[in-house]
Amino acid sequence: MSNATRTFVLLGPLLAFIGLTYLVPFLGVMRWSVTLPEPGLGQYQAALSDPLILSVLVRTLRICTLVTLFSVLAAYAVTLIWVRGSPAQRLAIELCILIPFWISVLTRAFGWLALLSNRGILNEWLQSLGILSEPLTLVRNEFGVIVGMTHYLIPFAVFPLASAMRNLDERALMAARGMGASRARVFRNVFVPMTAAGILGAALVVFVFALGFFVTPAILGGGRSVMVAELIYLYIFQIPNWGLAAAVSVILMVAVGVLLALLMRVMRPPVPR
Amino acid sequence: MVASLDLTLSGSWKGRGLQNIKAAEIGAEGIGKRFGSFAALDDISLTIGRGEFLTLLGPSGSGKTTFLMILAGFEPATFGRLTLDGRDVTKMPAEERAFGMVFQGYALFPHMTVEQNIAFPLKVQRRSAAEVRRRVAEMVEMVGLGGHGHKRPAGLSGGQQQRVALARALAYEPPVLLLDEPFSALDKNLRGQMQDEVRRLHRETGTTFVFVTHDQSEALALSSRVAIFDHGKLQQLASPQEVYERPANRFVAEFLGDINILPLTDVAPDAAGACGRFEGGVIRAAAGAGCVSGLLAVRPEYMRLSEAAPDGNAVCARIDEVIYLGAETRLELRTRGGIALTLSVATAALPQGLRQGAEIWAGWPEEQGFFL
Amino acid sequence: MSGGRPGRLAALIAALVAVFLLMPLIAVIPVSFTPNRYLSVPSGAWSLRHYRDLITNPGWGQAVWLSIRIGLLSSVVATTLALFFSLGIWMLRPRFATVLMGIALLPMVAPPVVSALTLYFLLVSLSQFNSVVAYDTLPGVALAHAVMIAPFAVVLITVALAQVDRRIDLAARAMGAGVLTRVTRVILPNIRFGVLTAFFLTFVLSWEEIGVTIFVTSVNVITLPRMMWMGLRDNIDPAIAAISVVLIVIVVTVILAKTAVQILQRRRSARKTA
Repeated sequence: MSNATRTFVLLGPLLAFIGLTYLVPFLGVMRWSVTLPEPGLGQYQAALSDPLILSVLVRTLRICTLVTLFSVLAAYAVTLIWVRGSPAQRLAIELCILIPFWISVLTRAFGWLALLSNRGILNEWLQSLGILSEPLTLVRNEFGVIVGMTHYLIPFAVFPLASAMRNLDERALMAARGMGASRARVFRNVFVPMTAAGILGAALVVFVFALGFFVTPAILGGGRSVMVAELIYLYIFQIPNWGLAAAVSVILMVAVGVLLALLMRVMRPPVPR
Repeated sequence: MVASLDLTLSGSWKGRGLQNIKAAEIGAEGIGKRFGSFAALDDISLTIGRGEFLTLLGPSGSGKTTFLMILAGFEPATFGRLTLDGRDVTKMPAEERAFGMVFQGYALFPHMTVEQNIAFPLKVQRRSAAEVRRRVAEMVEMVGLGGHGHKRPAGLSGGQQQRVALARALAYEPPVLLLDEPFSALDKNLRGQMQDEVRRLHRETGTTFVFVTHDQSEALALSSRVAIFDHGKLQQLASPQEVYERPANRFVAEFLGDINILPLTDVAPDAAGACGRFEGGVIRAAAGAGCVSGLLAVRPEYMRLSEAAPDGNAVCARIDEVIYLGAETRLELRTRGGIALTLSVATAALPQGLRQGAEIWAGWPEEQGFFL
Repeated sequence: MSGGRPGRLAALIAALVAVFLLMPLIAVIPVSFTPNRYLSVPSGAWSLRHYRDLITNPGWGQAVWLSIRIGLLSSVVATTLALFFSLGIWMLRPRFATVLMGIALLPMVAPPVVSALTLYFLLVSLSQFNSVVAYDTLPGVALAHAVMIAPFAVVLITVALAQVDRRIDLAARAMGAGVLTRVTRVILPNIRFGVLTAFFLTFVLSWEEIGVTIFVTSVNVITLPRMMWMGLRDNIDPAIAAISVVLIVIVVTVILAKTAVQILQRRRSARKTA
């Protein structure tokens, strides 16, 4: 086999597969965005001026920002124990991360419904204790979406943070302690800055993931706090406007592309010399 | 057992023509390698003789490993031609050349036992089961690993793994054996043992060995010839004695051991060699070649100490440092003109009462000085 | 901190987060025993009616069987393609490896909803030419899943290959081994575990896939997640709680078993080296 044949046989199948099933159809989606219902950039104009779509985009950004903040903070504490805790702590945390991670997003969203809905465990309990007379509305609104998405995304923030904490040079911490810095000071001034790239990486991963997220907001938002992904779904299946759905998708893809380019820049190790 | 492994290997063994050549002659003509605009190797021409033990020696980044990779066929040369017994093999891929190779870190197959590792190249060549069994047993014996045949590499010590790597590379009697810094992971004692082992295997197999190292004493101890590389260029190719005692240039002289370099003035060739002046004294050298540079080099071990000016070549210097090294003692000296000198003296022959700051004479025979 | 354990505050926050992570999973359990037909907490009387429903309603069994078939089909395709590709990148080190890798990973990094719309476009287009690999057919859904999960297989196999000492492959080449021998006798035995993991993970990802499935199915192909989705959208069916409990029990059992095996192995190897 010549080198060219080998390259073709080994790399060809997957690249052809992704090319034909993903790249070409995506070009088709892009075509929809400029041809449906009529040729032109009208759908992009609509997407960026329609107050309904703009409010969805603003809500999406707001929810994603909050979810990113909560997920990364929670993940940082969990990862700290997972990487540096006692063996028993590590095991407990590992199980608490892995079990939800492997459980379907639907089950997890349902779990929040069971816990937070009007006839859910929390409301029943609070009412039976006489603390509440009327059930609190905790799902089918933005609060439910944020809780559910944070829950879903914490494990995804844990992995980049864990690799940053594991690769950290232990000697720098010992040096700081050796110079008389307190534990809190070492944590704040040495440990956190040294894991900054991991924090940024985790934040971007979560944010990018959250942007295009569909299932959890659809279930826990209950159609009341629509995010951009559900908007696309609605424009395809409920109020057919394929051109607009396609245009919003292309905008979303570009936004994620820009964020990923940023991520690559952050995660790339500094060039030696 | 090896036979019961039944590896039906589907190798593309196209190198059968080379198979029964016990030792081959390799020719390199104007080999060059560029990575972008960086010249990793520049115009290397040399011939490696049948059954020779050639060492490629140089600091890291000198191009020696690149040259070995080109010999093995892992890297294509940008320029030049490579021949094997006169046949052009420049474009032949590594798997067709099938030179034996021993890597830094051994590169044993972790999922195979010692016997399976050694049997691998034989199976690639589709040798008969009986021959594979016989040859594997022979090789295991040859490298002294009897009784370890069923172990996995992870269960062996570094030295034992190295022996398996050698046995595997030699099992199919390759025309050439390439060794890429094979001892760099071993400690000093084991390294000595493995050097003896490699020397013995070279003698017993008669194969052409090409050995890469950055360790000069290893190079001098093992090779029939040494090729010294620096900045991608071949600096000198000669016997160990010649590269040490008659280095072709200042780089070779300084790379191999310590050397004292005296800048002479008024150098002129004469009937007996050459002579010149150094800090007021007359210095003579038996060999006048290259004397235009005026740089006279003398190895530290040929310099002798005396309290008073001796006959013949000598310079006066002050003792900066006396460093005790066990069997030897090193002296760091500085001449009146500020030139640093190093001397190696057997501790047993050390004059009494040497102390820092004392003035002393260092002399050497005319035939031990040479111009760079 | 240095060399030592994190402080109490960190442990406390981590414990709270851990509770947060497990809470919704535990909440599912009481709900699954409600005697009512709507989502509620059983007060007094507990009922197994929703578990019974899982058995008596043939829809659930059909959905599970369909999800298994789609999972096997798509993970075999994805893992095979990914294996070839990762081997190619590792062995040949092509010049534009990062670009090629980027293309291979695209479905994983693109927003899920964009992938869903793209695959919807693909299957709707394919439907115009054939009725086998098409919108709302089993092969069509398996194809869409294979696209979505292949990047994960590429990542896992590439990670496994990164652990392999490249010199063993060079050594095999130096001894005259051809590509096929190198792959089957030298490389594959050393990445077996990674390939199996890739197969397993891609199967699970397909088994759980919902975002794309919603876009490419309608009435014929009802996978298990799709069936749960229908029961979650409008009137919440407590049968979802029952099936969720079953799924949680499976995951927890597998993870606990795996952890226990790992701990035992670690102890055994610790004893061996001691």
